[in-house]
Amino acid sequence: MMLAAVLLFLALVLPGLPLGQWRAFALDTAQFAFLISGLALAWDLLARTGQLSLAHGAFFGLGAYAAALSAPALGTVPALLVGGAVAALSSLLLGLATLRLQGMYFAIATLAFSEVMRTLVLKAQFTGGSIGLPVQPAFGGAYPLGGYYLAVAVLVICTLASLLLSRSRLHYAMAATRQGEAVARVLGVPVVRVKLVTFMISAFLAGLAGGVYAMKTLFLSPYDAFGLGRAVEALVIPIFGGLYTTTGPLLGGLIIVSLETWLRLRIGEGYLVVYGVVLVLTILFLPKGLMSLFARRKGARHA
Amino acid sequence: MKLTVTDLTAGYGKAQVLFGLGLEVAEGELVALLGANGAGKTTALRTISGLLKPWSGSVALDGQSLLGVSAARRARLGLGHVPEGRQLFSLMSVEENLLLGAAFLAWPSKSDQLERIYALFPRLAERRGQMAGTLSGGEQQMLAIGRALMGKPRILMVDEPSLGLSPKLAEEVLSTLSQVKKEGVGVLLVEQNVALSLEVADRGYVVEHGRVVLQGSTQELASNEGVQKAYLAL
Repeated sequence: MMLAAVLLFLALVLPGLPLGQWRAFALDTAQFAFLISGLALAWDLLARTGQLSLAHGAFFGLGAYAAALSAPALGTVPALLVGGAVAALSSLLLGLATLRLQGMYFAIATLAFSEVMRTLVLKAQFTGGSIGLPVQPAFGGAYPLGGYYLAVAVLVICTLASLLLSRSRLHYAMAATRQGEAVARVLGVPVVRVKLVTFMISAFLAGLAGGVYAMKTLFLSPYDAFGLGRAVEALVIPIFGGLYTTTGPLLGGLIIVSLETWLRLRIGEGYLVVYGVVLVLTILFLPKGLMSLFARRKGARHA
Repeated sequence: MKLTVTDLTAGYGKAQVLFGLGLEVAEGELVALLGANGAGKTTALRTISGLLKPWSGSVALDGQSLLGVSAARRARLGLGHVPEGRQLFSLMSVEENLLLGAAFLAWPSKSDQLERIYALFPRLAERRGQMAGTLSGGEQQMLAIGRALMGKPRILMVDEPSLGLSPKLAEEVLSTLSQVKKEGVGVLLVEQNVALSLEVADRGYVVEHGRVVLQGSTQELASNEGVQKAYLAL
């Protein structure tokens, strides 16, 4: 909680720090890290109901395309909301069809969904198909830091959503749904509705992050926007940072994206090897992610 | 409030378990549902609480049929269910488990409810911050009952609370159920431990092969020759 506040504060003041020649690069990396962390926070929300989604890359991509296509007509912020809404709507349809599935079956259904979405965008005319889609920068390029602060805003929104949901009674509903659906139901939890609502919130946030991403890269292609890599990243980060927490995905996302960028700079394509080793070691020695480092200290205090 | 079950048949796949089971529980009474392993007691509870669809027959609360009503909605109508094997959320604390019981049923009065449960089970109050998985068997059973009570049920169904407990603890858990009854809640107790159940219950049903074969006050049941032979080993 404290850590989350500190990180968000750092994000706000980062452009003002004396970063010298690295400034542009640092801001660009940070912006990307914020969006991916936001995506990871969104994914974690759904994970709290016990569902493993591989569709979050697709929600991110849908948000990106919808925002990019509607921005010229609507302006930046409404277009971003449209991006989130399109992602949420698609999650509602997907959820109605698949949320009764559990565990692995749900994961496979969401994987199929993201492949279908990519193919649709690839074959459609108005999305630019395989050629790709040029995107206008945020606010028509009027503010150089506009895109950066939109990414900060997305991260703040995702963090607040995650914190608020872990303080509401929906938190109990999600935990109960995850750990035992039958008991949840006899305790009065409307299990299907809880899953559906969480899915929609989660997809909306992923779509929002996708929209800002589109305005950052200025060019979308189906391979990039709907890549499976992003869906995997959305689930690796919370596992690395600590599932079902707010600080976990937030801290994990910032660390993983920074690490990835730094490694790519140092050793080029070999970065995936080191990246993989770091993940394996984390899962072996910190099965509950980075958050277990904090939890252990807390446990020691109790004892 | 009164729970009425008539001619209930249900089962899993092709295997029929209940063959026309009927029973009644009113508020403020403790009714025991007795029978051997495999008689259909747990299936009966699962069907009544809506986790299992009945093949035929009816479940009604105050004369209103619950046909097609979801398990969550039945809970909100005042039907509580402590499932077999406790089914606690073992990585959550005692207090979180209790709060979960109130989350969708009695959220505005959750602090009053907590106080009430801690008064009923002082041991849970001592361990409120402890993970549910680290409790002893008896404490876990108390927590499972407490969690269901947090939702202020009018009728509470408890499945095998004495399972795996020492005789002394089993007695303790069952005597809290009679205290719950005194608060005005109707309790439907499913038990294999017939002797102990007959001590706390007001009346009982004996189930064999999915139907009620005998019913009556606990005195009548305890003095019945068949019951004595089959369940009390006298």
